[in-house]
Amino acid sequence: MIGLFAIFALMVLTGALVTVLASNAVHAGLGLVATLLSLAVIYVMMDAHFIAAVQVIVYAGAIMVLFLFVLMLLDATRPVKEKNPIPFVNEVAGVASSLIAGAMVFLVMQFKEPLPLEQALPQLQAGAPEAIGINLFTKFLLPFEAVSIVLLVAVVGAVALVQRPQVRDQDLPEYKNALESEKERNKEVSGTIALNRNLNTDLNRDLDALEEGTPNTTPQITPQRGLS
Amino acid sequence: MIPTEAVLALSAALFSIGLVGAIMRRTAVLVFLCVELMLNAANLALVAFARAWGDLQAQSAVFIVMTIAAAEVAIGLAIIVTVFRQRVSTNVDELSGLKG
Repeated sequence: MIGLFAIFALMVLTGALVTVLASNAVHAGLGLVATLLSLAVIYVMMDAHFIAAVQVIVYAGAIMVLFLFVLMLLDATRPVKEKNPIPFVNEVAGVASSLIAGAMVFLVMQFKEPLPLEQALPQLQAGAPEAIGINLFTKFLLPFEAVSIVLLVAVVGAVALVQRPQVRDQDLPEYKNALESEKERNKEVSGTIALNRNLNTDLNRDLDALEEGTPNTTPQITPQRGLS
Repeated sequence: MIPTEAVLALSAALFSIGLVGAIMRRTAVLVFLCVELMLNAANLALVAFARAWGDLQAQSAVFIVMTIAAAEVAIGLAIIVTVFRQRVSTNVDELSGLKG
């Protein structure tokens, strides 16, 4: 058992190192897949069977597919070559996290089993979905409901974020062409209407002039009518 | 029987590797990958504690953490895609638009 654990622990760490160090982003993603799957095996060894199944389905399945999809979609596989604007960031990161790792391992070594593992194991009920479900719906009811709201917000937010700006009908090329030809036709039509209106006004003016008995205007009207 | 200390040490190592990556990596998507590593380290520690105490509450917490991680990935990748559309790069050094 401990030998198997050592093998999978090694796989976890190798995958993690590939994730952190690989220059090709897709390799980094696949390293993370190796880590997640090995972690699922370790969960099985730790009597967390339901969690192991969820790890494979949610992490190695859904989340990693999303990651690899975005990696290939964005063409983020090219490594960043420019000089890092923050000086010595890699060195500082290495020193800081090895300090943190040392501190955590030091704390871990102080850990004493609160009760013998043989005694604790039966209470876990092998991490069965039923036992965890009862736990989730009694002691963890509020976090459970809160998490469901978080998921809903995440879905709506993701859709709202990646939505492209709405293309209006007016901006479509075929709509523009249709609009142009419509305008042309309107120009012709309104031209004739304007002609008729001119004629009408001329006629009315003629009639008015006739009624008022001012014959001076009458001779000028006939050429105007012909022109328009 | 795997000693709890060994699992916790593995969790610590995993967390540190993830931390190094989150600081060193310069592509936004890869920073996210390293954050996932750190979340998984925390999950591993929770599972180890659940076994040590014989209490399933820690395993329920792991379930909640996984759900939050899924939501975080969905939102984070949407943000990265939006940023990428505006400036054809996901280099986090160039994202200083919110700097005061």
